[in-house]
Amino acid sequence: MMALIDLRSDTVTHPTDEMRRAMAAAEVGDDVFGEDPTINALQERAAGLMGQEAGLLTASGTMSNLIAALAWCSRGDEMIMGQEAHMFWNESAGPTALAGAQIRLVPNDVNGRISAQDVAAAVRDSSNIHVPATTLVCLENTHNRCSGGVMTPQDTREVVDVAHAAGAAVHLDGARIFNAAVALEVPASELTKDVDDVSFCLSKALSCPVGSVLCGSEEFIGKARKWRKMVGGGMRQAGVLAAAGLVALDSMVERLADDHANARRLAAGLANIDGLTVDEDGIQTNIVIFEVDREKVGDAREVIAALREDGVLVSHSRDQALRMVTHRHITAGDVDEALSRVNGTVRRMAGAA
Amino acid sequence: MGAEQMNVIDLRSDTITHPTEAMRKAMSEAEVGDDVYGEDPSINLLEQRASEILGKEAGLLTASGTMSNLVAALTYCHRGDEIIMGDQAHMFWNESAGVSALAGAQVRLVPNDDQGKIDPADLSAAIRPRGNVHMPPTTLVCLENTHNRCSGAALTPQDTKAVADVAHEAGASVHMDGARIFNAAVALEVPPAELVKDVDDVSFCLSKALSCPVGSVLVGSEEFIGEARRWRKMIGGGMRQAGVLAAAGLVALETMIERLADDHANARRLAQGLADIEGLKVDPESIQTNIVIFEIEPSVGTAPEVLQALADAGVKVTPSRTQTLRMVTHRQVDSADVEEALSRVAGVVGKLREQNKA
Repeated sequence: MMALIDLRSDTVTHPTDEMRRAMAAAEVGDDVFGEDPTINALQERAAGLMGQEAGLLTASGTMSNLIAALAWCSRGDEMIMGQEAHMFWNESAGPTALAGAQIRLVPNDVNGRISAQDVAAAVRDSSNIHVPATTLVCLENTHNRCSGGVMTPQDTREVVDVAHAAGAAVHLDGARIFNAAVALEVPASELTKDVDDVSFCLSKALSCPVGSVLCGSEEFIGKARKWRKMVGGGMRQAGVLAAAGLVALDSMVERLADDHANARRLAAGLANIDGLTVDEDGIQTNIVIFEVDREKVGDAREVIAALREDGVLVSHSRDQALRMVTHRHITAGDVDEALSRVNGTVRRMAGAA
Repeated sequence: MGAEQMNVIDLRSDTITHPTEAMRKAMSEAEVGDDVYGEDPSINLLEQRASEILGKEAGLLTASGTMSNLVAALTYCHRGDEIIMGDQAHMFWNESAGVSALAGAQVRLVPNDDQGKIDPADLSAAIRPRGNVHMPPTTLVCLENTHNRCSGAALTPQDTKAVADVAHEAGASVHMDGARIFNAAVALEVPPAELVKDVDDVSFCLSKALSCPVGSVLVGSEEFIGEARRWRKMIGGGMRQAGVLAAAGLVALETMIERLADDHANARRLAQGLADIEGLKVDPESIQTNIVIFEIEPSVGTAPEVLQALADAGVKVTPSRTQTLRMVTHRQVDSADVEEALSRVAGVVGKLREQNKA
């Protein structure tokens, strides 16, 4: 029986043995009273790495992003983000449903960047009674739906300047910010210090079982803490989770480069399979989005099902685009095996098509 | 004895409890998976076990009792609905107005008596008539068992049925905030399922006296839980390998329920001791579970003053209503701690009364 090669997401990662040990031994306290020393240590460490004043452990990236929307936006405000933003596509419309903010989309380029010019053009003049105020601009780095593309410190600063000039705050959905930092070979803080707040995930390629950390000014985090309680994110002895986070920040960042190399290897192999298209040069981190030719091969969902039968798990991105994400459970050998299986599946479906 | 030397007796809440060694072991060995894909076997087992124990179809692990209560409101209510609950409800007092702010539901209060009960006649009178364009529809009634601000009192199955019948008759659903439902079950000596058979869904906390580090479980019908899962995701409660947390929950459901009777005995002893202290007022007969709310007579001082003086003496308590303080017993407070706490409280109160006389 062949082993499944799970390329659906870096969220499938299990905690490492070192994390499990740290979690079991973690010093804990009631975090609603602010008394969990492990959480306090993680939040401080995270803030330092992000070049921000303070941090806040949350249950998920979705929660972090929602809290940012609740903290920055009043009902009836408008928030600007890229048209491929995870916050727009896959967060259950929470910022709108719960923070009451309308979302205005601007184009993302192939690397997931939004341009300062497009943001400037989209900013509202709310002196007109018909018009909502633009109070938040959201960035995403790396960009999930844009194949893990990165924004440079320069890209980021340009958008931040425009947003601030317009009186809007900037939230950075940095779920995979460390992937960006490693790919660009810059400290993460270079990518995050200019924004008003940033969230990063512990549970993705950093491999922690649960969580995200939101970082920003003391004032912002003070407000965020209240919103977090309201949405039910006030956990108690969550130092058991934070302990894994501390291990991750110490030991799981550098290795992301291996995931990136594996992603590039995957992309190169997929590019050689007739019926699949992928932009190899566009693969900057651990996400590979590739297109499946409908006529030659088949419908995307059928391809996913067939791949599953053949022992390769992938995700659906959009239309005929499928997504693979590398992480610590995928070795170079797994990549080659996966490519071999994918080739087999595609050939079979193309023969039948 | 100097403040640094004496041990602090922490009676602020049962939420301060640390995981047991057995829990830490279970957590470190937990089989996990990505729960957003439904693939965490420890979570799946906990949710199944929880729903079995409570006689419901399905369960959902959440990050907190507040989250469970909010998810219930989001699942049942449309914007502009009305929710009825007791005037001492934790959901009204201490959940950041989330059901109003986020679920858009207006909260209507009816009286809680000292035992945390709601009178079905009061509920009946508060239910909104249908078909009037001015009026929000009553879509949800919330009960609380045991009752936090009513000194941990337990609702019997009969109490619950009487209220649930009125709610259901009017087309409203019934959510039970059962943060401490197992305390109620142990105190009343009935199976937990008996306490919740007439409600549509119930949430209970893992992180309180059950002593798990994190979490709550919401249980109800398959349909309800299916919808609840979506709302949970929206508010950010979709965790990944949270089987590490669920593993502690499984240990708790097996081993941490029966012992709640010890916490109740300790609470009763505390209440008896406090009743004997001149300047404090509490009815020991009314203490059914692990919460003791006691009144401070003005001759002693204000509740905040007394709270601070107690903290300085190494006894931590929490505020409750005006001129009252609250103590909660749990596994980290034994009978010796109770005697020591009473001794210190007597000392503090005596001194404050002396100072006030002077």
